[in-house]
Amino acid sequence: MIRTCGHQVVRWSLRLSPGFALKSALVEQNARQLAYACRMCSHTQESQTSRASAQRHGSELSLRTLLDMGFTETQADQVYEGATKILGRKSVTHDTSTITALLALGLNASSIVKIFDKCPALYTEKGAVVQQRIQNLWKLGLVEGSIQRVISYYPHILTIPAKRVNAAVQFIRTKCLFTAQQMREILRDSPEVVEEDLNELEHKFQYAYFRMGVKQAEMVKAKLFKVSMEELRCRHCFLERRGFYQTPDKKGQTLIINPKLKDILSATEDIYLSQFAKATKEELDVFRKLVAREDEEKGNTLEHCDIEEDEEEAEEDLTDFKRGSMGQLGYVKTKRKK
Amino acid sequence: MATQRLWNSMAAQGVLHNKVRNLLQITQKRHRVKTKWAATHPKLSATNLALQNFDAMYSMQLGELWPSVRVSLLSERKYGALVNNFSCGDPVTDLQSLGCRDFIASSSTAADPFSPPYSGSHQFDQHIVNEGIGIDLARASISPNVKCLVFPKGDTSRFKPARLDSAGLLTYYLMDAASVLPVLALNVQKEESVLDLCAAPGGKTLALLQTQAVRFIWANDWSGSRMSRLQRTLNSCLPHDLLSEDKLCITSFDGREWHELGENTFDKVLVDVPCTTDRHSLIEEDNNIFSRSRTKEKRNLPLCQTQLLLTGLQAVRKGGEVMYSTCTLSQLQNQCVVEQAISLANQELGITAEIVHLQPFTTLFKDTFHFAPDLNVGAMVLPHLTANFGPIYFCKLRRLS
Repeated sequence: MIRTCGHQVVRWSLRLSPGFALKSALVEQNARQLAYACRMCSHTQESQTSRASAQRHGSELSLRTLLDMGFTETQADQVYEGATKILGRKSVTHDTSTITALLALGLNASSIVKIFDKCPALYTEKGAVVQQRIQNLWKLGLVEGSIQRVISYYPHILTIPAKRVNAAVQFIRTKCLFTAQQMREILRDSPEVVEEDLNELEHKFQYAYFRMGVKQAEMVKAKLFKVSMEELRCRHCFLERRGFYQTPDKKGQTLIINPKLKDILSATEDIYLSQFAKATKEELDVFRKLVAREDEEKGNTLEHCDIEEDEEEAEEDLTDFKRGSMGQLGYVKTKRKK
Repeated sequence: MATQRLWNSMAAQGVLHNKVRNLLQITQKRHRVKTKWAATHPKLSATNLALQNFDAMYSMQLGELWPSVRVSLLSERKYGALVNNFSCGDPVTDLQSLGCRDFIASSSTAADPFSPPYSGSHQFDQHIVNEGIGIDLARASISPNVKCLVFPKGDTSRFKPARLDSAGLLTYYLMDAASVLPVLALNVQKEESVLDLCAAPGGKTLALLQTQAVRFIWANDWSGSRMSRLQRTLNSCLPHDLLSEDKLCITSFDGREWHELGENTFDKVLVDVPCTTDRHSLIEEDNNIFSRSRTKEKRNLPLCQTQLLLTGLQAVRKGGEVMYSTCTLSQLQNQCVVEQAISLANQELGITAEIVHLQPFTTLFKDTFHFAPDLNVGAMVLPHLTANFGPIYFCKLRRLS
């Protein structure tokens, strides 16, 4: 921890060298932050095993302490306001250990303010718990650089118990057979994955694997878990029904060259329409509605269909009027017999 | 009879074709899978076969339009509510409040100044002098009184099942709105006699009756079971007095044998032939025409369709009109059949017929349907996601001699 702080001091000084006279205030602020953080770090280093002692070293949350830690007045105001809104005026006995933990990672004041802004629930978390979760993420492979990015992008992850995070990771690795390296990348690119319902997660994975014939490596590159199931299915089915995507057969072969999942998902709607689907926006909008309705009626159950077989379309039997069975008229869908 | 000789010669050609095929089959046997050794027998469902077939054929025929048609065929179709004029209920107001409109009443009356000039070497309908007058007259020359409500383009709402009115009749009948077009284009006028040669399951027959311009209608279909379905449909929509024998006759003969029952008698004939029913074949596995057991039947379709159209031309009076329609996109079952029938009628039966140009007609409905562009013979509705009707092909012929 101290070594990290040390590295950061070096980094800061390097950054500060080219004439920062105008920003001297900022410099001072950063220096103070680091000094504070280093002090806290050293304390934490000593009592690493004891969670309580970390708390002992946290001081009471107040404007004064925040300024001490290196926040500007506006920033301190913001943080204090945020905290009191969540915790209530009476119980502002919460300490600053969460902020300390974040500072220790090297996050600066403005980042921290943004983090709390994005995730006010973080105010309610105990600093020691947050610290523990950070360490858990570290253990899962989110290393220097990644971990800061993840927390800045998705601070909510620090409100999720480590147990839950680990369960999700375990599930993804064992059920979906991702390698450890791939898992790290997934965590880094799509940390929100740990909060998803595990069944939904599996459903999405199986859809990509069996229905689209996409392997794990490609899924990671395409950041599959960032996309909702609806959007994935819509974009895929639209291409498939237009004839531009084919489910590979048992040997993994197709008659056409399928576009890469990465390209399909990352393209903006305009590019997707002009380059891949070769269709108009109106068609896509109507299609989205139709597929959503199909899914709703199918009960959203994914059939583990053979890769060879075409998509099972729910049979539609209309037109036939049966006298007296008025309820059956219309859009009666019956499952096609296998 | 001339007709009999014609059938015989056509059938003979088929036999010859079969003999050649048998020879080919013998050679092929050597390369067939040895079933007792093969671990898996290649299993392609009929719907898959249909899709492969369409991919091969229609990508060439429709070019860049094919992907849009393909996705539409594989997605939920759109329906229209054919209003039952004989019902005392008034479904129109209710349906309109849901956002529907009668596509026939609200058809485009404004002539499109940018529409391409009439193509083809066919005789123009003598009414059509210039486009402006043409469109108005076209509007006047569609079958009257038919009302069909649809949801607007892009709207995926569904119709609720029709209710029965106090007399026990349906207030409307749900069907593909595009199926109404051949009936409209047939332009049934007051007190005409109509023959519906392949009437089952009865949607178009019902639409014909809605015109209230038919003096007498003969509905026929080869399939007895499907005709009973038609009977039930008509019973549910029509009051008893319209179902009397002098107004309506329902039979199930083979349409190709019609010459035994009388020629030169009807004012208008509708020949809605059996075809590969493209949309249906992509979805329904049971009794699919692309299944191996029905290969011969499928191969025989263009011949059968030509024979039926010839029957229609024989059954219509001089000056009368025949409407040929299918629900397939295939040129082989559409334009080719029409051209073949006209040619054969001329050569073998001494009947001359001309193709009636349908562009003024289709212009009326261009805001509701997507018509295939550049069709010289007949008109075709292409399925499109915003207007997922069809596929329907129809072509109007007029008997001149």
